Amino acid sequence: MADVDRYEPRGDRGHRGGYGGKKRRLREDDDSYDRRDRPQRRRYEEPTGTRLRKQLLAIAESPLRNAEDEALNIAKITAENWDDQYIKDTFCEISILLVLEQPFKIPFVAACVLHANTQNSEITTEILARAGAKAQGFLETGGWKEVKLLLRFFACLHSLFEDAGVFPILDELFNRAVDLQTASSEDTLGLELVKIILFTIPYIMATSTSESEQQKAAQLLNKTDIVASTPHMLDALVDPYINNEEEENRPMGFQTILTLLQKQLQTEAANEWKLACIPRPYSAVVTSGSDENGDAPTPAKHPFPSITVPTTVKLGPKALFPEIYFSLYADQDIESVPPTSNIAASLIRDTLVDTMNHLDFNRNAVAKFLIEMDCYWAPDTFVKRATPFDKLRAVPENKSTWKPEDLAVDAVFSQLLQLPTPEHKLVYYHSVITESCKIAPAAIAPSLGRAIRFLFRNVDAMDMELFYRFMEWFAHHLSNFEFRWKWTEWLDELDQSDLNPKKAFIIGALDIEIRLSFAKRIRETLPVQYAPLIPEGRDKDTPDFKYADDSTPYAEEGREILALLKKKASEDEIQTVMDKISAKAAEHNVQDVLVPCTDAYMTSVCYIGAKSISHVLSCIDRCKERLLAIGPQSEPARRQIISSVVDYWRDQPGVAVNIVDKLLNYTIITPVSVIEWALTDRLDRGRALARSQTYELVATTMAKVMNRVRQIVD
Amino acid sequence: MPQFQLRNTVERLDKPSSYAMSKYKKRRRDSNSDPSTRQPSPDLEEKLKDASTLYIGNLSFYTTEEQIHALFSKAGELKRLVMGLDRFTKTPCGFCFVEYYTHEDALDCLKYIGGTKLDERIIRCDLDEGFSEGRQYGRGKSGGQVRDEYREEFDPGRGGFGKKFREGEGYGEEYGEGQ
Repeated sequence: MADVDRYEPRGDRGHRGGYGGKKRRLREDDDSYDRRDRPQRRRYEEPTGTRLRKQLLAIAESPLRNAEDEALNIAKITAENWDDQYIKDTFCEISILLVLEQPFKIPFVAACVLHANTQNSEITTEILARAGAKAQGFLETGGWKEVKLLLRFFACLHSLFEDAGVFPILDELFNRAVDLQTASSEDTLGLELVKIILFTIPYIMATSTSESEQQKAAQLLNKTDIVASTPHMLDALVDPYINNEEEENRPMGFQTILTLLQKQLQTEAANEWKLACIPRPYSAVVTSGSDENGDAPTPAKHPFPSITVPTTVKLGPKALFPEIYFSLYADQDIESVPPTSNIAASLIRDTLVDTMNHLDFNRNAVAKFLIEMDCYWAPDTFVKRATPFDKLRAVPENKSTWKPEDLAVDAVFSQLLQLPTPEHKLVYYHSVITESCKIAPAAIAPSLGRAIRFLFRNVDAMDMELFYRFMEWFAHHLSNFEFRWKWTEWLDELDQSDLNPKKAFIIGALDIEIRLSFAKRIRETLPVQYAPLIPEGRDKDTPDFKYADDSTPYAEEGREILALLKKKASEDEIQTVMDKISAKAAEHNVQDVLVPCTDAYMTSVCYIGAKSISHVLSCIDRCKERLLAIGPQSEPARRQIISSVVDYWRDQPGVAVNIVDKLLNYTIITPVSVIEWALTDRLDRGRALARSQTYELVATTMAKVMNRVRQIVD
Repeated sequence: MPQFQLRNTVERLDKPSSYAMSKYKKRRRDSNSDPSTRQPSPDLEEKLKDASTLYIGNLSFYTTEEQIHALFSKAGELKRLVMGLDRFTKTPCGFCFVEYYTHEDALDCLKYIGGTKLDERIIRCDLDEGFSEGRQYGRGKSGGQVRDEYREEFDPGRGGFGKKFREGEGYGEEYGEGQ
């Protein structure tokens, strides 16, 4: 699975094994080789470097193998071949890469180092030096996620530090945090630093709980309490549920990750730092510390790498906001995920989110790690994979009822529905859910179903942007699975007014489904009671041209314009008809005569280009001179352009949104005109706010403007 | 001394596919045989390192521009969309070119949309050197894509059986009838 840039050439590895002389089958374009004609030679033994790389990359992945044995084996290979530079690099570089890319493996990578330390303490020196240098680099550039993960790595190695280990750095980080927080009430970087401190402590305490360490941890927790427990002025910004409810009636509790973590750590401290969920695949080293000869030498101790926290800490590549702990399943009757009082909630969620956000370049790997998360925590942290939700009641008293599938779905939604924005494009999180459903449908689908029901139930209390994210996700997701859903569950909502949030959700979701498919197909996937939501007008590829009907004002002139445009007549001929419309309009005391002229013109453009986006674009392009001239002459006429498009495509709101978006690119209309059209002209006493098209027009226009500004600034 | 290098611990999805790589290799061999008329082709990685166009394959013949737009705009704003057409009938023949404004959006498309479904078919996405006139036509003998010439499986979204298969032309026609 690893992406190796350079293949190993032939030659020795400086190994002690005796297989020099066997031919290697390493070729650069293996892809063009027809493997069927060349059977694998089973007796072929891999070079040591390859073996080490594969084993290290795959550590802890198989539930059938004992992770501690794997760590022992890796340590052995490394120690035995330590004089080989390639082995040195393989071990150190991959270990550090794993720490940064697959954080759930950190305890296992640390175990390799701990075991290797007993065989050759140089290994530890080398890897500490490299990891230290990396940490220093990230401290200087403000790579706070990487700093957190490297400190966690050091924390898992705490038993081999001869000095105070990670604690001095944590104290330094705290000092910086205090400075930042006192300097500004808007500061979020200070919070991030405190979060790093709090996420490091449990891994130290899981490794070794000496008196001095317990004391230091208690001191730190005392200090961080005030920062972690104070509400932040940006908290309301990131709240997914509109804050007009009493605390008890909120669908989901509002707690920041920081506040929760502080409380959870204080609970653990009071319980002798049990930290049940953290895996400890290094018991052989820490407790007994004996080698093969049966002696019990104390493993070599090492100084903590010299790392200095810069006096001024940088914000780093992304803006930081307070993070709430988002959970669809927590603190409900059945404990299918850790309750928010349990530190496992924070620790597991943290690694899941970090993994997901780092490995966005391979959603398949992410899905696999999500499904197999039980391999990376202490045994019995979770209930068996794919245990049905109803069966959780039958689980004995002292056993866990935490479903890994629920934790996985929870983690993905915590990102998809994160405010202000998640780290990656929304469609990435869609794809993670899709892949998870593909590889473990029986396990994930029921959890997903419960997630959907929870969100739907509380859709009226949701932040508006999150409402639309949920809707778009839902429709896109179903489009990957034959649009299957238990639509019968929502039949009661169909009787509600279209202004009802749940009804509006259903209407919006179906509209998006139709855009990804077509009306007839979607109707087939629904119970008959849904038919009124998909009127026959939606089946029409080409909506009717309103001027074909004589009862429409300016019908004759409209038809003339259409004919002239079709035969690519001269501007003069078109102007003649425009003048006719202007005259007629003036007779009827129309205030702005350019408005009906524009309506006839733009509607004709829409009709001519009805076949596809490319068709309408080529027509707009031909007509852009006249269209561009409209806005500067008359703002109402400019907004009429939008009206004509939206009205012509009233049965296909998505097409209208696309065309309006393209008109913006041509600057035929302006962003302000779109906003005013949507939120003033067509507000319809607020009814427009229940239509997803309104939101889409405003949202895509705003996004476009923000993008342009960002481009200019960058 | 071999140098250890590892970019990531798992493979990346945002690279050119093996098809794109093999296209490059064939071209390289051809360019040697006719140096006077062929332009020197720059390194494939070089060419595709700023690519903002993607080739999309395995579409149904009935997939519309709107559907393509609805899906692919999730990875970024579309600059252009060119439908693949049958050379003779000028109707869609199951592929298209999607062009974004940025290379980053194209890579995101590969990572997040490639291999998922459009119009209920799993689509293929691949980095492309860029659309040029003529590339929107199928290169199969019958006018559609080459893969639809000899296809033996029935695919209702792509004209049923492959053109040759449908016409009863199997392989070995040149050997005449048996006894």
